[in-house]
Amino acid sequence: MEPGLERYSRQILFSGVGEAGQKKLLASRIVVIGCGALGTVQANALVRSGIGDVVIVDRDYVEENNLQRQILFDEEDVRQKLPKAVAAERKLKLINSKVRVTSIVADVNHKNIESLVGPADLVMDGVDNFETRLLLNDVCVKNNKPWIYGACIGSYGITMPVIPGKTPCVRCVFETAPPPGLTPTCDTAGILSSTVNLVASLQVAEAMKILMGQEDKLHRDLVAFDLWANMFKTLHVSKGPKPDCLCCGQRNFEYLDAKDEQATFATSLCGRNAVQVNRGESMRVEFDSLAQRLEGVAEVSHNDFILTFKVDGFEVSVFTDGRAIIKGSNDPAVARSVYSKYIGS
Amino acid sequence: MIYLDNAATSFPKPQAVYDRIATFMKEQGANPGRSGYRLATDCEKMIGAARHEITRFFGGEDSERLIFCMNATDALNIAIKGVLRQGDHVVTTHLEHNSVSRPLNRLEHDGVIEITRVMHNSEGVVDPVEIRQAVKANTRLVALTHASNVLGTIQPVAEIGRLVAETEAFFLVDSAQTAGVVEINAKEMKIDLLAFPGHKALFGPTGTGGLLVGPGIDVAVFREGGTGGDSSSPLQPEGYPHRLEGGTPNTLGIAALLEGVRFVAAEGCAKILQHEQALIARFLGALQGVSPITVYGSKNPAHHVGTVSVNLSSISPQEAGTILDQSFGIAVRSGLHCAPYAHRSIGTYPEGTLRFSPGYFNTAEEIDAASAALAKLAASF
Repeated sequence: MEPGLERYSRQILFSGVGEAGQKKLLASRIVVIGCGALGTVQANALVRSGIGDVVIVDRDYVEENNLQRQILFDEEDVRQKLPKAVAAERKLKLINSKVRVTSIVADVNHKNIESLVGPADLVMDGVDNFETRLLLNDVCVKNNKPWIYGACIGSYGITMPVIPGKTPCVRCVFETAPPPGLTPTCDTAGILSSTVNLVASLQVAEAMKILMGQEDKLHRDLVAFDLWANMFKTLHVSKGPKPDCLCCGQRNFEYLDAKDEQATFATSLCGRNAVQVNRGESMRVEFDSLAQRLEGVAEVSHNDFILTFKVDGFEVSVFTDGRAIIKGSNDPAVARSVYSKYIGS
Repeated sequence: MIYLDNAATSFPKPQAVYDRIATFMKEQGANPGRSGYRLATDCEKMIGAARHEITRFFGGEDSERLIFCMNATDALNIAIKGVLRQGDHVVTTHLEHNSVSRPLNRLEHDGVIEITRVMHNSEGVVDPVEIRQAVKANTRLVALTHASNVLGTIQPVAEIGRLVAETEAFFLVDSAQTAGVVEINAKEMKIDLLAFPGHKALFGPTGTGGLLVGPGIDVAVFREGGTGGDSSSPLQPEGYPHRLEGGTPNTLGIAALLEGVRFVAAEGCAKILQHEQALIARFLGALQGVSPITVYGSKNPAHHVGTVSVNLSSISPQEAGTILDQSFGIAVRSGLHCAPYAHRSIGTYPEGTLRFSPGYFNTAEEIDAASAALAKLAASF
């Protein structure tokens, strides 16, 4: 075995990898978008597996309630209030100093995503909201980069690899992001670490197949499971990209072009410690159902005009058209994060 | 939608302004003063006419000294940075917008100048005598807003101008809230430097504004570039307006601004102010029956341009503003309005206030809808 490859010997022994496969992994660059539950598990496996260059992008800071599942963080990171990307980079460099690990503390949005994923051979989905996933889908299809979709909530997980031009993209399967306030999030409905680990592990396996040129081994379909309902399913999607798909068929990159301002827009409010988050398309938020979902995590009250709740030191006011004012930060990225955690993508 | 944010920019504009933009773009889009062909000279004539008519509108004498700028902020920066020198003292007030405060604060921060801020009374009006008393031997500039963009209160500019004229200091007036509403005569009011926006009550498009430079003052060259004539001169020409205008001007904006100014001149500032004050009177009258609500500054409509700031005690101005927008279709501005000193002095920092600023095109019915919406909000929280 060539010098430097010994640390990967057990992986190289596996017939699907071998020395040639390992060299391909070492010559690959992966960008992990989002370094929360899914992202930490992915980055951990990728760096240990010897992906030569791993870039981690995240806008959030490590909090105590992350430690239950976000495997690269510890109590010291919480005490130091480290950005997740930075804490992950430090830990990963201790795990494997022979590969390159880079952290970027940034809010991923339509303005910067093209430059973030530009250098990647493959992109991992570790994001916490569906709107950013559709943005990821747009940028990867446009630039012909494979990416691995993955999402989870509670005991439910779902994943699918996307190779633009060869397999269906995420918009072939789901046409639009769900409206805010209607879908549960990990911060309102909870999440098991087992769910996270399973989704992220499936994502990493698919990523390795693609990087080693073994597309024939891809599962290609949408894999979904529910650990509590004991459901494990492969949902068949179309053989290839749908010709009428808005994204990969018609190459209309709505989320990336953001022409109709569909993307969530956050603006810090003049002079005070607050940010207003606007949904691009206005839609009716049902206060009763949102209040119900938030009951477990926050004290909620509402009248005809406004629903308010306090959580993590933020005071959030939600309006009936999906707009929200988030008090407790001047940073639009932080506000977007609070919005996607508690109100929805 | 009921638009009550005319203090930020006027909307809608007179039809003539819209029409001028379309015809100018299609028929007259040449570069003025650069060539001798008819299209270019027509353009140059238009700019000359605009310079002249706007100078006359503001009671200026020398239209060469009317400089076109991007907006009032641009004009204020040119004026402030163009007249102040090391060791100068400046008198200003707590009512100023950041377009005055920030350039001054920068010069103070860099150790160039010293600032005295004169406090206003509880009505939101500064005392001319206090301004005069603050002027020292090294005071180069008195910088004052003509009307507060938070409170809408009109300042006694003529009286202050008379007192400042007794001193060596220059008098700079920020007419962001008054140009097109309150009659301004720079000569009579002893205004040395008048900064105005084109896109507010003068009904021009955004990207327009100007600075009227009085006789006997020289504002330093700040931006060098092409001026059409004098091309052989290695330095920016000393003469006005080219001294302060390098580069192709905003001809489209200036053409449309001229139509806006003509509209205002035809209607007359007195009639426009009367209309705005009648709307403010109606609004303040209706709010008397609403509780709990606070109206800031003067309650006398005669002291106002069409701007008034309020707060409901039970809900923040940002939340109230959002609800007015989405549940009532009323557009107002909430927050600090880029005037943090004013909010500190009226006790509304950092939350700010909810600002209603009707314009010439708003109606009594729209004002009634706004006061009714506030009453409903007051009762709901």
